[in-house]
Amino acid sequence: MATESREREGFGHVSRTVGVVFRYLLLAATLFGIVALTVLLIYVANDAIQPLTADPGWHLTFFVTLVVPTVAVGGYLLRTDPASFKFGGGVVGALAVSTMFAGGAAMIFVDIVQPVTWFGYVLALAVALAGVVAMERFDRQLPFLVRSVVAGAVAVLSLWLVPGLVRSLPVYPTDGLLLTASLGTPVALLVGRYAAAAAGKRGTALAVLGGVALVGVGSYAGPLIGVDPVPATVLLSVAVLPTGGYAVGTVRRHTERRPGLAFAGVILGGAVVGAVAVDALGFTGPQSWVDWGFLTSAHSGTAADAGLYPAIGGSILLMVTVAALSFPLGVGAAVYLEEYAPDNRFTRFIGINISNLAGVPSVVYGLLGLGVFVTYLGQPTGTVLIGGATLALLILPIVIISAREALRSVPDEMRQASYGIGATRWQTIKNVVLPRAFPGILTGTILALGRAIGETAPLIMIGAPNVLFSLPTEFSSKVSAMPLQVYAWASLFASDPFYRAAVPAGVVVLLVVLLSMNSIAIVLRNKYQNDQ
Amino acid sequence: MSTDDLTEDLTRRTENAPQELLTRSFFFLCAVLSIVTTISIIVLLTTEAAKFFSATAPLMGVEGPTASAVDFFTGTEWIINNEQFGVLPLVSATLAITVGSAVVALPLGVATAIYLSEYASPRAQSVLKPALEVLAGVPTVVYGFFAVVYITPALRTLIPGLGTFNMLSASIVVGIMIIPMVASISEDAMSAVPDSLRQAGYGMGATKFDVSVGIVVPAALSGIFSSFILALSRAIGETMAVTVAAGSQANLINPLNPVDYLEGALPMTAAMVNLLTGDVTGGGVAYRSLFAIGLTLFFITLVMNIISDLVAQRYREES
Repeated sequence: MATESREREGFGHVSRTVGVVFRYLLLAATLFGIVALTVLLIYVANDAIQPLTADPGWHLTFFVTLVVPTVAVGGYLLRTDPASFKFGGGVVGALAVSTMFAGGAAMIFVDIVQPVTWFGYVLALAVALAGVVAMERFDRQLPFLVRSVVAGAVAVLSLWLVPGLVRSLPVYPTDGLLLTASLGTPVALLVGRYAAAAAGKRGTALAVLGGVALVGVGSYAGPLIGVDPVPATVLLSVAVLPTGGYAVGTVRRHTERRPGLAFAGVILGGAVVGAVAVDALGFTGPQSWVDWGFLTSAHSGTAADAGLYPAIGGSILLMVTVAALSFPLGVGAAVYLEEYAPDNRFTRFIGINISNLAGVPSVVYGLLGLGVFVTYLGQPTGTVLIGGATLALLILPIVIISAREALRSVPDEMRQASYGIGATRWQTIKNVVLPRAFPGILTGTILALGRAIGETAPLIMIGAPNVLFSLPTEFSSKVSAMPLQVYAWASLFASDPFYRAAVPAGVVVLLVVLLSMNSIAIVLRNKYQNDQ
Repeated sequence: MSTDDLTEDLTRRTENAPQELLTRSFFFLCAVLSIVTTISIIVLLTTEAAKFFSATAPLMGVEGPTASAVDFFTGTEWIINNEQFGVLPLVSATLAITVGSAVVALPLGVATAIYLSEYASPRAQSVLKPALEVLAGVPTVVYGFFAVVYITPALRTLIPGLGTFNMLSASIVVGIMIIPMVASISEDAMSAVPDSLRQAGYGMGATKFDVSVGIVVPAALSGIFSSFILALSRAIGETMAVTVAAGSQANLINPLNPVDYLEGALPMTAAMVNLLTGDVTGGGVAYRSLFAIGLTLFFITLVMNIISDLVAQRYREES
C-alpha cells in the first residue's frame, strides 16, 4: 500500500470531476434536440387530439381493458420470451400500418380509379404475362430481339384492347367482386405462399383460395355492418389478408412463437372490448380534431370544419408518381455507376455532381420545375404530373446515393461466381446483384419518398393551389398535398382557431404517415442486416 | 450440336449483344440525367436572371421593365409593388438565420458527435442515432409551425418585446433541424480516427476527456469543418420553416446584433415563396427576380458544397 500511494504522488492527482462533468454535458447536448422535439410533439398531439376532454370514465375503461392487460402480458412475455413479444408487437404494428395504407387505397378506388377500370388493366397485365409465359414454354431458344418484340407487342396489344373490352361489356359484376378478383387475388397469391409455408401445392392452393374467399365474402358482409363494399374489400385485401398471412406463416415456421399471437390478441381484443364498453356505459371520448370528418372533408374557411381529404389524396398521387419516376431512374444510375462505369474522370465527375445536386436547396428545384415544365414546355401549373416530376428530380440524388451504397455492399465474390459460370454482365446484375441489394435499395427509396412527402416549397413554386376542394382525379389535374395544406392554414389563414385546431390536426396526420414510412424502412433495414 | 457450335458459344463476345447494349445504354442515360439536371438548373437560372438585369436584358432580346444589377446587389429596399429590388435585406436575413442556427447547431452537433463516437455504448448508439434521424425527417413546414405557435410564446415569457414573427425562434428551429447533419458527418470523421492514436494517448496516462478533446477532435477537425459548411449551406437553403416563422417584412438587419433577432425579416428563400403565393404572372419583372435570387442562392450553396467536399477529401487522405 505504501508504494502505491507514493506512486500516486509521483504522478500527481488526476481529477475525475472534469471528465464526469464533460461526459454529462455531452449527454445533455445529445439529448437537447431529441427532448425539444419530443416536447413539441407532445404539445401538438395534445392540441390535435385533446385527450383531457374525455370523460374520466373513458380513460378508466380503456386503462382497465387495454393498458393493464397489455402491460401485464407484454411484460411477462418480454421477460420470458422476447422473440414472441416482438412477433406479437409486429403483428399489431403491421395491422395498424397496413390499415392506414388501406385507407389511402380505398380513397383511390372510391374517388379516383373506378374498380372496373382497375380490373380491366389488371386483367390486361395478366393476359400479357400469360402470353410471355406461354412463349417461354413454347421455345426457350428464341433470340433476344424476337422475344422482346413479341413480349412488347403482347403487352401493348392487351393493355390497349382489354380495358376497353371490359368497359364495353353490357353487364359486369358488382364493384366488390371486381376488386376481389383484381386486388384480392394478387394479394392472396403472394400472401398464400408465405402463409402455407412448406405445406405443398395443395396447401398453398387452399391458402390462396381461402384468402380470396375471405375478401369475396367480406365484400358482401361489409354492408351489413355499415361499410361499403369497396372500402370493405380494400381493407380486407390490403390490411387484414397480409397481416393474417404474416401471422399464420410465422407461426407455422416458428411454432415456439405462438404466445406472440396471444399478445396481439390481448391488445386488439382489449381495444375492441374497451370501445364496446365505453359505448355501453355512455362515456364520451376526447374532442379530437383528428376525426373522421377531418380526414374525409375538404378545406373550409372555419377551422372546425376544415378537412384534409383532397390533400391526402394529392399526397398519395404525388407519391405514386414520384416513386414510379425516381425508382427506375435512380436505381439505373446507381447500377451504371457501380457496375458498368470505368473509373475515369467522367465517372468521378458524375459522382461529385450527384452529391452536389443532393445539396441544392429545394426551392431551386421548384424553380427548375417552374421554368422547364411550365414556362418552356407549356404545361399547366400545379398538376400532379409536374409536381411529381419536380419532386422526383429532387429526391433522385438521394435515391442514387443510397442505391449505390446498397450495390457496393454486395460482395464481389458473388459477381465473380456468376461470371465464372458464364453469365453476361446484365444477367449477373439481374440475377445476382439486384436481388441481393434490393432490400437496401428499397430502404433508401422509402426514406427518400418520406422526404418528398414532406416537401412544400417545390410545390408552391410550380404553382400548386393553396386551397383545393376536390380530389385530383388524373395526372393533369391540380394537386394539393398535406404539407402544402398545413402551410396554407398556418400562413394564409393564420388565426387562433386554425392554430389551435386545423394545423395541429394536419401536422399529426402528416407526422403519423411519415413516421410509419420511416418505421417500415427501419424494420426492413434491420431485417436485411440480420439476414446477412 | 457440333463442336464448332460449342466453341462459338463459349467464345462468343457477349459485350455488345443486343440485350447487353440495350440495358447498358439505359443505365448510362439514367446516370447522365443528373448532369442534364445540373445543366438545366444553371442554364435556366442564368438566362432568366439575365433577362432580369437591365445590363443583360437587351442581349436576351427582352423588352419591358428590368432592374439594374447595381441596385439589385446594393439596394436596401425590397418592395415588389414599387419595383424596388434591393437584395441586401434578404441576404442579411439569410445570414442572420445562418448565424443564429450555427450558434445552436454547431456546439450541440459536435458535442453529440463526441458523445456518440467516444462515450456512448453500442446500445445507446442504436437508440440515439435513429432518434436523431427523426429530427432531420420532420417536414420543415412543421418546424415553422412549432416556432410560431409554441416556441415564440414560450420565449416571450423571457423576452417580453418579442414579435409574433421573429428571427430568434426561426433560427432555433433551423438549428435543431441541422443538428443531425453536423452530428452524423462529424461522428463519421471521429470514428475514422485510428484507434492507435487513442491508445497512444492512454499510454501516456491521458484521461478519456484528454483523449477526446486533445486527440480525437483535432484529428477529425477537417471532417468537423466539412460538416459545418454542409449544415450551414442547408440552413441557407432552408425554406418553409423560415417562411412560416420569420415573417414577411423585408428589413435590413445586422446578423451580429442579437437585438435584431427579436424582429421578423425576410430571408431569400422566404422571399421567393412569398413572390409566388402573391400571384406572380409569368414573364413579369417580379417573376424574373425570382430567378435572380435563385441564382444567388444556388451559387452560394454550390460553392459551400464544393468547399466542404474539398475539406472532407483532405481528411480522407489523412486517415
